[in-house]
Amino acid sequence: MSEQNLQSQTVQTTGHAWDGDLEEFNNPLPTWWVYTFYVTIVFAIVYWFIYPSWPFGKGFLTGFSNITYVNKAGETVSSHWNTRALLMEDLNKADEMQKPYFSKVAASDFNQIAKDPELSGFVLSAGKALFTDNCAPCHQQGGQGKLGFFPNLTDDDWLYGGTFDKIHQTITGGRRGYMPAFGEVLNADQIDALANYVASLSGIAHDANKAVTGKALFTSETAACYYCHTESAKGRQDIGAPNLTDKIWLWANVPGADKAEDKVAAIRNTIATGVNKGVMPAWGERLSSDQIKVLTVYVHQLGGGK
Amino acid sequence: MAITTFSSAEQYNFDIVKKFAIMALVWALVGMFVGVYIASELAWPLLNLDIPYITFGRLRPVHTGAVIFGFGGSALFATSYYVVQRTCQTRLISDGMASFTFWGWQTVIVLAAVSYMMGYSQGREYAEMEWPIDILIEVVWVTYLILFVGTIMRRKQPHIYVANWFYLAFILATALLHTFNNLAVPVNLFSMKSYSLFAGTQDAMTQWWYGHNAVGFFLTAGFLGMMYYFVPKQAGRPIYSYRLSIVHFWALGFMYMWVGAHHLHWTALPDWTSTLAATFSILLLMPSWGGMINGIMTLSGAWHKLRTDPVMRFLIVALSFYGMSTFEGPMMSLKEVNALSHYTDWTIGHVHSGALGWVAMISFGSLYHMIPKLWDTKLYSTKLVEIHFWLATIGVLLYIIAMWISGITQGLMWRAFDDFGNLQYSFVESVAAMIPFYIMRAIGGAFFLSGVVVMAYNIFMTIREAKREEAALEAKLAVKMAGLGA
Repeated sequence: MSEQNLQSQTVQTTGHAWDGDLEEFNNPLPTWWVYTFYVTIVFAIVYWFIYPSWPFGKGFLTGFSNITYVNKAGETVSSHWNTRALLMEDLNKADEMQKPYFSKVAASDFNQIAKDPELSGFVLSAGKALFTDNCAPCHQQGGQGKLGFFPNLTDDDWLYGGTFDKIHQTITGGRRGYMPAFGEVLNADQIDALANYVASLSGIAHDANKAVTGKALFTSETAACYYCHTESAKGRQDIGAPNLTDKIWLWANVPGADKAEDKVAAIRNTIATGVNKGVMPAWGERLSSDQIKVLTVYVHQLGGGK
Repeated sequence: MAITTFSSAEQYNFDIVKKFAIMALVWALVGMFVGVYIASELAWPLLNLDIPYITFGRLRPVHTGAVIFGFGGSALFATSYYVVQRTCQTRLISDGMASFTFWGWQTVIVLAAVSYMMGYSQGREYAEMEWPIDILIEVVWVTYLILFVGTIMRRKQPHIYVANWFYLAFILATALLHTFNNLAVPVNLFSMKSYSLFAGTQDAMTQWWYGHNAVGFFLTAGFLGMMYYFVPKQAGRPIYSYRLSIVHFWALGFMYMWVGAHHLHWTALPDWTSTLAATFSILLLMPSWGGMINGIMTLSGAWHKLRTDPVMRFLIVALSFYGMSTFEGPMMSLKEVNALSHYTDWTIGHVHSGALGWVAMISFGSLYHMIPKLWDTKLYSTKLVEIHFWLATIGVLLYIIAMWISGITQGLMWRAFDDFGNLQYSFVESVAAMIPFYIMRAIGGAFFLSGVVVMAYNIFMTIREAKREEAALEAKLAVKMAGLGA
């Protein structure tokens, strides 16, 4: 530093002065600065020879770095360094790691997969990745679903059944939940009576007289609720008609309402407007059969598999 | 009352400099407050309050627009008008044009902010303004260019001082970048919506040619102009090396234009383009450091000023952050490093080490030097400058350390594979892991903002004292005149 000081004092200024005292020394370029700049030039040139760089004509300098990978058609390809090849190389590496487990999955049935400690470890890993990519946007990361939209997969209440086979069928073929809007066929008093009856099934404070009327309507041909929900109101899994007696709600936002009358109002609303948004896509066209198998076991173990 | 003393106030147009200097502070307060607010929204999303106008997506360009173009832009206008007049020893060629650039530019910032909150955006980072605002910018900017060049041409000095080269490069390049990046076709004459003239990868490439050169010429060359005047002035020493200033000026200008594509590594951009961008970024390292060396070495022989003069400390620490972020940038532009850093908070941290550490700090130092001179007085309190310095420094450090940790954590989580060949983490798990760092970042931002509040108070008091002194002086003169008259 003191050497620099000395230098600055002996170095001449350029002889110009601006705004009173603004001057410039004419120190030479710092040697280390110049040489470091040269080093960056050498670095750049080396880099140009490793990776694809300067364009010329219709092509470009491809660089000396090579990547060998297996393409989708199963052919081994060797190419100059490029982003696509690098991605294929990485994907192939991951595929190689997964392959032995997937072939074991293919050869086993659901129970074997769930009981085999090694395979169930793989299911937790691959199932989580598949679930995150495909299912979590609706059913949420942990499978907890979203009230009013998507069913919770972590409880033991199933709309279409919670056995391995039923879950597998649901994922492969998708589902479409539907209930007509009864506001079009019933009057407000009738809907209110039905709502009070449905509330009574879950032990929600209700008007007992209305509930009696509601029960009669439920099993009558006027409302015909029992067609799908059955006379006991326990629902039918073969057509996805929910059990109304288990205090678990999907469409009516009963848990979100604080007061009993609001809970009844939520039920009323669902009866009047129906359900026409319960669509789950069919994954059989998008995922491989082994992937769906893994997902089935994964969803089964989320909490409530039967 | 016809008594006037001849002073620099008549020789130069300082009125315009004062206006821009004050607006620089106003926009610093506004822009950084919005910054702290959106940082807090990321840490505590309920701060959205479910109001669409203040969601992160709309407020983010309000923040960047207010700090870059409001604060940074006003500081550049103020200092460039100040420096060009003093170093050319001549008045700006037109007061009317100067005034137009002031009102035009302030209108741009306000319109931009309001339109973003209403949901209008071109979707181009740092160029979100829709076409009517773009046209206003164009007109203001060309006026600025004519005014600046005209003033230089009327100089009473044989040589053009180095600071003016940098200011001119900044003005010229910004005109070029703004024009080409905003070539768009409006849906119709009465619609705010427009569509870019370019498509796909070319569009992205044009946007990042603009985006990185906005950093290179707006946020670097312009502020180097500031540095080349205020560092030697505050130090009372000549610039270290004239030769270095020439070499790094041209090297910087040449290299910057190539590097924008490093924002598009690992995308649909051709690999060869991204390689060239990476290497020119590396080549840019030493030209950038030329400015840092020239600034810091100017202080050699006067190092003790760092201990005694907090304004000097702002300027020199700004140069240190400049050196650090211009080292970090080229490293991040290498393909392999970028594979980790791309799309992560590391980028946000890098931008802020440049924006807070370099751009804001060099502006604070320059404004602390310039404002007392404009009002012909002394700073109200040096102690408060000292406090501002520490609040700012702690703020920047908290900010960039938080973003380094969260950025590298994100990068590692996103690419982690488990033993079964599956991705180990879901995206939302990486979001959850960010929360402590988002809180830390918001606290860092709050530190930096509180420093600006201290500065605003200090400057307000400085100007008030100056006006009182002036009033007292005039009263004295009036008494004297009255005595003489009788």
